[in-house]
Amino acid sequence: MNPIIQRELIGALRTRRAFGLQLGFIFLLTVLVLIKWPSDAVVDLSGAAAQQVVRVVAYGLMAAVMLLAPAFPATSIVTERQRRTLELLLNSPMNRWSILGGKLVGVLGFILILLVLSLPAAGACIVMGGVDLQHQLLLIYGILGLMALQLSALGLCVSSYAGTSDSALRITYGLVLLLFLVSLGPQLLTIDSYIPQLHRITNQIRCLSPIPAMMQATGQGGIGAAGIRTPVNFAQGYAVSSLVLSVFLIGWTARRLDVRLFDRPRPAGKVTDEQSTAVRVLRRVVFLWFFDPKRRTGLIGPLTNPVLVKEFRTRRFGRAHWMMRLVGVCVILSLALPMVCAQSTIWRGVDVIGTILVILQMVLLILMTPSLASGLISGERESGGWQLLQITPLSAIKILVGKLASVVWPLLLLLVATLPGYAVIVQIDTSATQVITHVVITMVFTAIFALLVTATISSFFKRTAAATATAYTVLVCFVAGTMLVWVGRGDTFTHSITEAVMKTNPLAAALSLIEAPGFDEYHLVPANWQIMGVLCLVCLGTLLFRIWQLTKPQ
Amino acid sequence: MASDPVVVTENLTKMYGDFVALDKLSITVRQGQILGFIGPNGAGKTTTIKILVGLLRPTNGVARIGGHDCTRDVKQTKQLVGYMPDVFGGYENMRVREYLDFFGAAYKIPRSLRQHRIDETMELTGSAYMRDLYTEGLSHGMKQRVGLARTLLHDPQVLILDEPANGLDPTARIEMRQILLRLAELGKTLIVTSHILPELSRICDQVAIVTGGLLRAFGSLEQIMATVRQRRVIEVQLLADGGLKSSATLIGELIKDKDSITTSATESVVRFSTDQGEQGLADILAKLTASGQRVSQFREVPMDLEDAFMSVTKEAEASAPEETSS
Repeated sequence: MNPIIQRELIGALRTRRAFGLQLGFIFLLTVLVLIKWPSDAVVDLSGAAAQQVVRVVAYGLMAAVMLLAPAFPATSIVTERQRRTLELLLNSPMNRWSILGGKLVGVLGFILILLVLSLPAAGACIVMGGVDLQHQLLLIYGILGLMALQLSALGLCVSSYAGTSDSALRITYGLVLLLFLVSLGPQLLTIDSYIPQLHRITNQIRCLSPIPAMMQATGQGGIGAAGIRTPVNFAQGYAVSSLVLSVFLIGWTARRLDVRLFDRPRPAGKVTDEQSTAVRVLRRVVFLWFFDPKRRTGLIGPLTNPVLVKEFRTRRFGRAHWMMRLVGVCVILSLALPMVCAQSTIWRGVDVIGTILVILQMVLLILMTPSLASGLISGERESGGWQLLQITPLSAIKILVGKLASVVWPLLLLLVATLPGYAVIVQIDTSATQVITHVVITMVFTAIFALLVTATISSFFKRTAAATATAYTVLVCFVAGTMLVWVGRGDTFTHSITEAVMKTNPLAAALSLIEAPGFDEYHLVPANWQIMGVLCLVCLGTLLFRIWQLTKPQ
Repeated sequence: MASDPVVVTENLTKMYGDFVALDKLSITVRQGQILGFIGPNGAGKTTTIKILVGLLRPTNGVARIGGHDCTRDVKQTKQLVGYMPDVFGGYENMRVREYLDFFGAAYKIPRSLRQHRIDETMELTGSAYMRDLYTEGLSHGMKQRVGLARTLLHDPQVLILDEPANGLDPTARIEMRQILLRLAELGKTLIVTSHILPELSRICDQVAIVTGGLLRAFGSLEQIMATVRQRRVIEVQLLADGGLKSSATLIGELIKDKDSITTSATESVVRFSTDQGEQGLADILAKLTASGQRVSQFREVPMDLEDAFMSVTKEAEASAPEETSS
């Protein structure tokens, strides 16, 4: 047996965490089947109950694969490089294919075990009747298997480039969101277009995401599907796109797995101030001087929190020039969306444009917050910096305030950058002012909650990679996981249960405010704000307690 | 005249449940002195240091720096102490000057003075040329220098350095030694832990040897040598190796510890350890020459800190079962 498979797979399966995950997973699936299992002698001839369970199981498995599959491979190669065990592996008689193959099988094995564990639930659906094995269940499991392969290949490829395991996680999850969610956007914007080539292109782009394929497999049509005008086999399209991408990424990663991986010079530490006049002038123009990452910075001012400045200076992505680039893209996107919609023949209304803007903001918040905040405390503990901070005269509160403020400012900038889109909507439809104001308040609550949850998680971990993966999992479960109840609304879950669960979900609250299709029947605000407020206070309390624990002498 | 005591610990004890990490440690270090704090891994060195810098709370006893209690007067001791742990604690994507500026601001050094302090400490530690380099790109030796500059930024009276010479090449080690001596000349009190004992013996005024949480020896190097120099190692150099065996047999008849006798044919040397005085040694030499051995040199092997450390730790190991049973 390939020793890497043995180490990666069997090593992972031996942990209590893996056992707990498998146990929880089986428990959830069992509960789902039991809810819908016929309690009397009456058999549902239409098979609706089984279809409802299949849908929830399919989306639940999709969410689990989306969250778990990238986490292990994304840290796999970079961790080996940091611990210098990759050098040992490359110097062993194993070739690059057996190293990569071992890692891939190790990661895929864990996901496949989870999928196998779900088979009894799927089998129960067949027994309940109305579920087709060949055209539905096999298709669903095929899509899930391809997803696991694609995400593992993506994670391994990113891991071969990344400098640290937490940056590998951030980039991988960012790419997953881009691939799975953003690829759905172009088609939504061109529903009304009469140019068939445009439809073909946007539908091809949709094939990059497994979501339309899964919707097709569960018999739900597709997001933004336009009836008979889009006769696309998304499952087939996704199978082709994911296989092509996986093969390419595996080949690319294998190509990178050699000694060149270590052939990186130390950063030279060039400063703009010491470059030639031409370079200085060019960089000043390009970076507007203040945002030049290579300029010689000034001393920290007397009124500034030094921790805040340190956090800004030490983040590769959090540095001003990157934030400004992101803010620029957000402004353009948020302005472009309503403009594009207003240009078409039919005004789609606040609900359609608002939905896109809300999802854009939510994706940005979920993606950016853990990336900025997961290392706030764990990063210090990992590098040994926490001990150094403890012996300085800085108080625990000042350290915490500096750290939180360093995330608040970029998040605030991001939120403000997406506001122009709402401003355009208000200009076109003045009656939407109050709705938009409420949506913005919901987003502010979400940002605060995401920050506090991530910072609290960070305070419990000694490794940033683990904190980052946990923060992403918690936030995605909180925002997307609870949406599974909405998927099973009316069938598996009653209106009141769905509404109660949706009250905890800020995305659902924002969508209900703008009366997005499927959410307009729920009244989630102000209950959502109250729940979010309480959750924020709980997180803040826990965070303060952890900081007190970490700063007091042992 | 002896200077004032700056670092004082009295019966300092730290327990983790039933495990005694540090047992009634009492030491005093005076201004301008360098204390070499040595002991095997897990001896209690880092525990002591962490109590002194306020990161740990003692179970019993007192630790004072500059007259301030390390547990109660944390604010005052933070200004008095500069601590350099065995990990660098660097930040990614941060230049050395920015790194020192951050710690300068954290120690509340006024902006007007900070640049001067940064330049001064970088000059002193020989790290001025690194100012624009990123901290994550520094070599181990460079990190040690920058770490020392960071420790010196707020001009502390007491410097506590955990393994400052660890991982340094010989040149860097010599430079680090010179820097520490210069700091002592400037009136700083230094507590230095190291596993490189020959290095410590060259710079320390005082040595504390700790094993199993207990202070086994404390004082100047000479005092410690005198304490442990009860057994002397003697080397007999012969002109040819023909007499090695007979010399060893003869010495074996004259000393108690026969197992300590070793011979080296390549060097034509017989070594043995004994607790005999000058008279006893003179008798051994006389009997060797009388038996016809051609002795070219009869000398005592000088003891260094390493030998003293080994002697103390061996004694500690030997007495450990007794301590446990008592």
